[in-house]
Amino acid sequence: MRAIQTIKYGELKDSIAINEVSKPSILSEDVLIEVKAAAINPIDKSIVLGNLQSLLPLPLPSTLAYDVSGVVVEKGTSVNTFEVGDLVYSRVPQEQMGTLAEYVAVKSNAVSKKPGNLSFEEAASIPLAGLTALQTLEYSGIKENDKVLIHAGSGGVGSLAIQYAKVKGAYVYTTTSTDNVSWVKELGADRVIDYKTEDYKSIVKDADIVFDTLGQHYTSEAFEVIKLGGIVVSIAGVLDEETAKMFGVPDYNLPEELTKLIRTKEARYKYVFMHPNGAHLNEIKLLVEDERIKPIIDKIYSFADSIDAFMHLDSGRAKGKVVINLS
Amino acid sequence: MKELIKKIKDSIPLSKEAEEYLFSISNERTVPKGSVLIRQGRPVDMVFFVTDGCLRSFFIDRHGKEHTLHFAIRNNWISDYIAIHSNESATLTVECLTESSIIEFDTEKIYGMLTMFPELEPFQRANLERLFISLQKRIINQLHLSAAERYDLFLEEYPDVEQHIPNYHIASYLGITQESLSRIRANKSRT
Repeated sequence: MRAIQTIKYGELKDSIAINEVSKPSILSEDVLIEVKAAAINPIDKSIVLGNLQSLLPLPLPSTLAYDVSGVVVEKGTSVNTFEVGDLVYSRVPQEQMGTLAEYVAVKSNAVSKKPGNLSFEEAASIPLAGLTALQTLEYSGIKENDKVLIHAGSGGVGSLAIQYAKVKGAYVYTTTSTDNVSWVKELGADRVIDYKTEDYKSIVKDADIVFDTLGQHYTSEAFEVIKLGGIVVSIAGVLDEETAKMFGVPDYNLPEELTKLIRTKEARYKYVFMHPNGAHLNEIKLLVEDERIKPIIDKIYSFADSIDAFMHLDSGRAKGKVVINLS
Repeated sequence: MKELIKKIKDSIPLSKEAEEYLFSISNERTVPKGSVLIRQGRPVDMVFFVTDGCLRSFFIDRHGKEHTLHFAIRNNWISDYIAIHSNESATLTVECLTESSIIEFDTEKIYGMLTMFPELEPFQRANLERLFISLQKRIINQLHLSAAERYDLFLEEYPDVEQHIPNYHIASYLGITQESLSRIRANKSRT
């Protein structure tokens, strides 16, 4: 079968190739998905560029991407939640990475039936970003009337996080650039802050939750806008001590500056690491079918143009997800 | 099964032998919500009579989107008749929207029964005619009625179904967006 692989670490255009590889075989708890559409995320680009070599060492060449939607064509002996012919979507587990291929084997507990009102391309755009949004906001303990700041509302995670926070009844602030203000507003955000003309720090006060999608100075700034006893949940900042331990770094300490900020605000800080979860994807499916969450797609590429898709993602100009059609 | 026998007897005289045979080829069971009874692309060898619950038939287009064709509630039949009569794979999927009680019949046996007991022919013909009329009406209504009028007809045809099924199935059946469906409902509740 054909697959899009990273053949080495380096510049995108030189490091990605379409290769002929063998069709994956399944284990008892797996389903084999005939891929109809796959979406790419910033992590896929980082893998090719070699930025994650130490965290995620991969044999080369490796088939790329984690997001998929397609049809179950085979199932393992212990799978009783899916049938051959089911239309599904998934963010596949790390060890099964490789959705940019004609087939992918996936642990059934990472799979859900796809939303019936979405095309394969729309469904493939959701899993990684949707799970990140849901799991991070759930970790924060989000509830009705909470004031939540979500950075980068036009991003893959931000656009879904805004909608999920509104499902939970929160008041949502979000930041974005001038060009994106109107469509981000349509996602339901209560206050869209144009970071090119406004200073979010003078607008957001006493937030219950800050969802830090940007890291760097935004992580420490979060403590300026958060209320006493609030929580900063991050997917881009530094690791917290518990998460570091999970990654096998037991002696890790939070940077001193951050520890002080946390103490001053009597706040909590957590780096949330997305994990594949079919049950969570099913929750998202129901919200999508109820039109309370909708995916935002920037562009759909054909399989043959996959390298262009990566280049487009790398340009930073995408407003929504970049999807590759394999059907 | 008693309900089905009664339904038949209400429209035609049914001999003891035919009744016993019908009973012998029937399989009455309760199926959980979400069960798929017929799957698009697979052979079809069953027809189903609904005694309780709600099922739907839908078509999946080449982009993977579902389009609802038909709902079946108490005392309705459901299957993929195109597949049965043309001996082709299913063009539709039939799934249970709620836990449902059904009586299932093997197509060969139930159609073979018409040869063994020709007295059942009028009942069978009436069923198919009813289905044909319902589909013809659905096409005509789709062509000339407003979405609000089609919604009213849906409520008439499927009373009490609305609260048990997701809005998107109803919107899909009516061929409108959920946003339009919400608008129609809001207008109705104001009048």
